[in-house]
This record gives sequence, C-alpha cells and structure tokens, in this order.
Amino acid sequence: MNKRIGRLGLVFGVLYLILFAQLNRVQFFGAERLRENPINTRGLIREFGQERGPIMAADAVVVARSIPSSGSFDNIREYPEGELFAHVVGYQSLNVGATGLERQYNDELAGSSLDQQVRSIGDLFRHRDTTATLNLTIRADVQRVARDALGEQRGSVVALDPRTGAVLALWTWPTFDPNLLAAADGASANQAYEDLLADPANPLLAKSFRELFFPGSTFKLVTATAALTTGRVTATSPVMPDSDSYQPIPAGRPIANFAGATCGGNLVEILTVSCNTAFAEIGAEWVGPDSMIATAERYGFNDVPPIDLPAAAESRFPTDYGDRLADVQFYRAETVEEGEEGVEETDPPELPNGDVGVYEDTARLSQASIGQNDVAASPLQMAMVAGAIANDGLLMSPYVVSSIAAADGEIYSSADPEIWRVVSSRAIAQTMRNAMINVATSGTARGLAIPGLVVGGKTGTAQLGTSPPNSHAWIVGFAGPPGGAAEVAVAVIVEAQDGASEQTGGRVAAPIARAVLEAVMGVS
Amino acid sequence: MGRVRRAWRAVDPAGLGRIKPEIAAIHPRRVELGLIAMVGLVFVFALASLSGTSTLPSTLGPFLAWMLVLLVVAHVVTRRFAPAADPVLLPMALFLNGIGYVMIARLTGDVDGGSDLAGLQAIWTAVGIAAFTMTLVFVPRTRMLTRYRYLLGLVGVSLLVLPLVPGLGRSINGARIWASVGPVNFQPGEFAKIALAAFFAAYLVDSRELLRTRIELRDLAPILLAWGVSLAIMTFEKDLGSSLLFFALFVVVLWIASERAVFLAIGSALFAGGALMAWSTFAHVQQRVDIWLDPWADPRGAGFQIVEASFALADGGLTGTGLGRGEPGRVPFAESDFIFAAIGEELGLAGSVAVLMSFLVLIGSGLRIALRARGGFEKLFAVGLTTLLGVQAFVIMGGVLRVVPLTGITLPFVSYGGSSLVSNYVLLALLMRMSHEQRTVAPGDRP
Repeated sequence: MNKRIGRLGLVFGVLYLILFAQLNRVQFFGAERLRENPINTRGLIREFGQERGPIMAADAVVVARSIPSSGSFDNIREYPEGELFAHVVGYQSLNVGATGLERQYNDELAGSSLDQQVRSIGDLFRHRDTTATLNLTIRADVQRVARDALGEQRGSVVALDPRTGAVLALWTWPTFDPNLLAAADGASANQAYEDLLADPANPLLAKSFRELFFPGSTFKLVTATAALTTGRVTATSPVMPDSDSYQPIPAGRPIANFAGATCGGNLVEILTVSCNTAFAEIGAEWVGPDSMIATAERYGFNDVPPIDLPAAAESRFPTDYGDRLADVQFYRAETVEEGEEGVEETDPPELPNGDVGVYEDTARLSQASIGQNDVAASPLQMAMVAGAIANDGLLMSPYVVSSIAAADGEIYSSADPEIWRVVSSRAIAQTMRNAMINVATSGTARGLAIPGLVVGGKTGTAQLGTSPPNSHAWIVGFAGPPGGAAEVAVAVIVEAQDGASEQTGGRVAAPIARAVLEAVMGVS
Repeated sequence: MGRVRRAWRAVDPAGLGRIKPEIAAIHPRRVELGLIAMVGLVFVFALASLSGTSTLPSTLGPFLAWMLVLLVVAHVVTRRFAPAADPVLLPMALFLNGIGYVMIARLTGDVDGGSDLAGLQAIWTAVGIAAFTMTLVFVPRTRMLTRYRYLLGLVGVSLLVLPLVPGLGRSINGARIWASVGPVNFQPGEFAKIALAAFFAAYLVDSRELLRTRIELRDLAPILLAWGVSLAIMTFEKDLGSSLLFFALFVVVLWIASERAVFLAIGSALFAGGALMAWSTFAHVQQRVDIWLDPWADPRGAGFQIVEASFALADGGLTGTGLGRGEPGRVPFAESDFIFAAIGEELGLAGSVAVLMSFLVLIGSGLRIALRARGGFEKLFAVGLTTLLGVQAFVIMGGVLRVVPLTGITLPFVSYGGSSLVSNYVLLALLMRMSHEQRTVAPGDRP
C-alpha cells in the first residue's frame, strides 16, 4: 500500500503545484491586467473613498475636507462653503472624475506624492498620515464679497496681489454646488452632473480663467503700453486731434467713438475718456503690428497663464496682418495727393511715427487696438494686465496655492512668487499707473475711487450686438495705500448687459470691483 | 532537574505507551511548543497590525488573550494524551486557525451580519480545541474504532441525510446541508466525512484481500453505494463540494486498499458519468461550469463572486494591501468560502502561499503517518483523513482561483464556521493519535 500512498502524495503535490502556479498568475504575473480591467472599480473606489487632506482658504476657512463615512466609501469629500470655491477647488466625483485643485493637486491631497510618502528613512517602516493640506491664497471673505457684489448676474471677478501673483478672489456666476457631484450616491451625482451640463449658462465652467471675452476698452491699456514702449509716444505727445471717426488704412469701415463723441488729446487724456478713434490710430499708425503683438504677448496674450489650476484659457491677440504695403508716411502722403484735388504737392511730412508699416490688414490692427476684432481675454488675463502695470511692469505668475502642509502641520512646499514676464520698463509702468489713476479720478472709472486709497482703473464695454444693444461690462483696476505699492489688482466682467455706451462698464462693473478692492484693503 | 522530568515522562502517565527512545531524544512536544510559540507571535503581530486600522472590534483584547490561552491548552493536551505525536500537525492547524481568526476579526463589520463573527469564531475555536481534547481522551487506541465500524457507517450515512429530514434540515444559501437541533445549527456532513472515513477504512481492511484478486459486483457494492450517496447528496442537498469530497475519499481509499489501478479508472469513470449527468440535469451545476469556463461573460451577475475574488487577489499582489487596508468585504462570503481571497488580498501572494504550504505540510504529515502506520486500518484511515483535508482545501482554493468549478465548501481551520472547525480538530486529533501510536512502544508490545 505504501507505494500507492507515495503516488497519492505525488498527486497532491501536483494539485497544489497547480494552485501555486495559478496564485502566481492571478496575484503577480496577471495582476496588472486584472487591476486595469474596466470592470474593476476597486482602484477607483479606493481613491474616491480614501482620506484626502483639507483645502483651506487664506483666512483659515475650510473649503474642502474628508469626513469619515460608514457607507460604501471610507470617506466622503465635503465642501463646507458649497459653491463659493467650486470653480477653484473643483470636485472629486466617482462618476465624472475630478476638476480644479482636486485634480491638480490630487497626489498631494491623497498623500501619494513621493515627497509625502518618504520624508525620512524611518517612514519606510511605519504608517503615517501622508495626506497634505492645501493652503490657498484666496481669501474666503474677499470671495464672499465678490459673490455678493456680483449677485445673480453672469460674470466673473478676479482679484490678485500684483506684487506676488497670489490670487485673492476668483469668482464666476453662475456656479454650482460641488457637494452634489461628490455625493456618494452615484445616481444622484450623475443626475446633478447631467443637469449642470444641460444648463445653457454652463455653470460648470470657471469662466474667470477658462473663458475668453472681448476685452473692449480695457485692452487700451495694452495699446497704450505698446505706444509708450515704441518711444514715439509719451504721456504728453503726440496730441491726437479731436475726431469723431477714424478711417482705418488701407481700407475698412470707419471706427467711431461711443455715442458719436468727439475726442482727442495726449495719451493720458485719450485713456481717461477711452477715445476709440485716437487709440485705433495710435495702434495702427504709431505702434504697428510687431510692437502691438510683442507687448500683448509680454502681457500674457497668446500663452496659457502659468496658474496652478488646470485648463486655464489662452487669451488671444491676432498675429497675422498680411504683407507690408508701404510706410505709413508714404501711404498718408499718397492718400493726401490722390484724395484732395488741387492741394499743392509737397514732400511727405516728417511724422514721428517713423517706419511703422501699413499692411494688408492694418485695419484689423486698428480694431484690435481698441480690444475688438479677434482680441479675446480671460478675466484673469485682464487682472494680470492691471497687476503688471501696478507692479512696475513686472507680471507675476498667478497662483492659488500658497503652501502645502503635511498632516503634522509641517509646511514642506510653499509658493515662491515668480516674475513671469517683464512687460515694460518701470518708467513706462509708472506712466501707465498714473494714467489709470487719472481714469479713476476724472475718467470713466470714477466709480472705482475709494477715499484714502490710491486707486487706478480702466473700464471697457465690449459690444456684442446692436439690436438690442448689449455688451460685456468690464473694469480693471488696482488699489494701494497712498505712497505705497498697489496691493490688489482686480478685473470684473459682467456679461451681456443691456446698452452699449462707454459708461456701461463704469456703471455696472465698477461698484463690484470697488467692493472687492475695499474688502482686500480692509476699508468699507 | 531535567533528568527527573524526563524520567517522569518515561513512566507513561496516561498509559498510552512509552515514547520510543530515538523519538524521545528530540522530544516532539518541545519542537511543538517552539512552533506554537511562533504561531502565537504571528497571531499577536497580525492582530497588533490590525490595531492601526479602524476595522478592529473593541473586544479584541480579550479575544486575543482567549486565543493565546487556547494555543497553550492544545499544547498541554497533547503533552498529556499524545506526547509522542508528530510535532508539526498541531502548530500548522493552529496557524491556519489563527490566520483565519485574524481575517474573520478583520472582516467583522465589513460583511453582512458580521458584527459578532470574531466572538463566535473564538467560541468555536474553544469548542474545536475541546473536541480535539475529547477525541484524544476517548480514542486512546485508534484500532478500537474498528469495533464500531458498522455503527460508524450508519452514523455517517444518517448524518449525511439528516439535512433532508423534514423539520430538522435547513436550507441556507441554496444548499440543504444544515440541520437544526434546538438553537444549534450545524452541518452534519462535516462530521459524516470522518465517520465514513473510519467505516470505509475498517470495511476495506477486511475485504482488501478479495478486492486484490478479483472484481465482482458484490465487491464493488461499497463503491457503488458511495457513488450513489454522493449523487444523492448532489441531487437533494445541492452540495457539489461535499459530494466531490466523499467521492474522492472513497475512490482514493479503495485504490490504496486494493492496490489496483482499475478501481481508480472505474471510480474516475463513475465520477465522470455522474458529473456529466448532473451537468445535463441540474441548472445550477451548468451555471457553475459556465462561470468556471468564462466568468467574464456576466461579471456583474453570475460571475460576480469569482471576478471580484480575482480582483481582490490581484489587488493583493506580492505583499498584500496590509491587514485592514484592503476591501475583502466586496467578495461575497469572504469570511467563509472565500476567505482565501481575503487572505490573498490583504496578505498578498506571501500570505496565500503560506496557507497553501501549510496545507501541503499537513498533507505530507498525514501521508507520513499513513506510511508509518503499523496496521492496515490505521494506514487506510490516515489516508482517508488526509485525503479529506487535502481535497477539501484544494477544492475550495481551486474554486476561488478558478482552477476547478466553484463548489461551496469551507477552507479547513481557516473559514468561519463551527461545524467545519470542530470536525477538522477531531480529524487532526485522530491523525495525532495514530502518529503517537506509531512512535511509542505500546503497553502490550514487547520492549
């Protein structure tokens, strides 16, 4: 019998060897394939249910946190401030993925970044809470002021510290409640998402930094900076003749001022009254495409702002103006010669705008110079324009996360303010700054003025249509203590307002921007 | 002092025979104590690592002490009643019991109705150790079982059909394998297997000389009976696992006893025929086979359990997610039939292979006892018991791993469940009794 018992042992050996082989196949060699199987929701649910670090506003308000749950998931993500930070923080949803900071800083919040995993050799041998806390630059109080001031008007508010690039407020209405999408109940989260997707106002989109609008007259700040940069234009010269219409060259529809007004003057004066005709001419005939493009791009156009939020929009300034036809001087002289019979033939006048060329599409450049045509900017971009002017021509990289702290409170990564672009010389920025202060003191942005503070601004009214007339109301500005650097730059857009007068921007948007400036500066 | 102690043992306090000098030189109980101490350390460490997670029942401290006491009790019992027995068997069983207990304690709260699993399993472990003790006490000589061979056969068959008795039998989760006596539910089949193994060993010892020389229908009667009983279980109790187990037991013991491969062939043919018949007759058998062939055809429905188990094992990888850090509760019956998947998930390939190897060591020790057994009955009985243990573990681990079609059956010593734990401790005690016998000089033997 012993021979048979030996064979039986052999049979068991073979059977268990098969089990051993299959175990290796399932747990090791084929494990990766099983983990990535689309039916396998383990990884997804684990990630969704795992504890994540909180996200805190600059004034220590909790805007996102994980709370332990006894349901299907170990933890549920909660957003105590609801919609207030929805577009910044985003959401973490099992069904529709993650957006905003929840996506951008997923590794840090979940504690899976290598920095957090192994901070010392000892960490290899013990379990430690590796989740991180995100500290924001955004202040909940400023954010609330922005929300309340904008109210239920479609629009966005962006405020940042021009000295560092730290974003202080980033608000868009309409928005949504991220708690609905982070719900553990997949069906209700899905329904909420479908409803939000179907909403024509697109509340899911953070328009403050992800949507582009015609910047309208606020773009004249860029044109003015470009003009000063060429050296052919100063604050006081040239003095543009009063005009109620500008005829683009080489051809095109005449450009008029708001309400058919007549305006002109030096750079400060035309900025103060936001003179379309003068800026159209300066952009097209004194600056030219190369300098306009260069300045716009130094301000950040045609590039994605280096903000630490996903999917920021790239603001646009047109770059193609066709072939060069002639010098402006030559072209003007010719026009004079042909256009006015009987005028005595003279040498072309010596114009200070030198060798600015006329191109096939220079007419387009004159439109772009006043923020029309193909120019498009995000509210964040326009706040960056105001910020660069207020910060001596230095454009700081915008950011919303000031620091990342480990679970034990130790800050292991903090934001380092960085210069993104040098937009202009300090002198030019000062000139622009003074011009903006002038606009807020005696121009279209008077609604922005705050007693006791140095405030600069520029309004814009980007016309969308004429029947019925409606437009985006814009304002950009900055504020600071007397004799000190500006501490806040702001951009406000109120979308699709009735009316199309230059006053629209000042009337509608200025009070909102002013409320935000006051909140940041601590005055009321 | 040491001399005195050794002398004390040598006088055979329990009247169970004197330990053979060559075995006494390396006292098996000292080896066993060392191994049990290691098992205890593993157990304490595993529970301590669980304390880092929130999935721990608050009463685990007392449970921990309780289980450690049971380890010591089991050891003291073998010292007293089977001092010469193989020192590996008990530690391996306790290791499997301990790892299963840790997993069950960890699953408390994660599985449906799992709130008091840890407490109940602690009680069942104690009952198991008690049954282990009683078996060693009341079976001082294995051969005495042969006196009750027909009684044991009758008891075995009665236990098997007990769930079919109206009023006593209960159907849980589709299988009618439960019997209720008063407040106690148990699976009679778990105990029937041991009784039938004894009956079969005793019967075949008598008839093996005949079976070795001829094949007549009369001699085939027992195997046909076994086949019939297996089919009956499969038909009326819908318990594929048990029927496979019994069939394997009978065929293997018959083959060893007769030393004729023809019985293996006949047995396999009968099994194949029965399986084919069951497959063509019963929808639930067809479904099991379909799931086995392709669980991915309906991964959210019929194949859910198998698919989730493979995901759990894959999640575990080499070293596992760590105790309390996986999601074993996602696999239905993670505390009983699918506890192997839970172990593979949280302890990784390392843990699942450790379990696999423990069973292989138990099988090896069991077959070694069979090889060394002096009498034919002991030989066949040891083979039968080892086959029961080895095949049961293979069938459920293979089912979880999709090596064979899944049949609902417990993983011996590891799964949650009183009947399984108690019956397997009885099985272990019988193996250890036989081991003790062959390693002693029996009182009646000449020195």
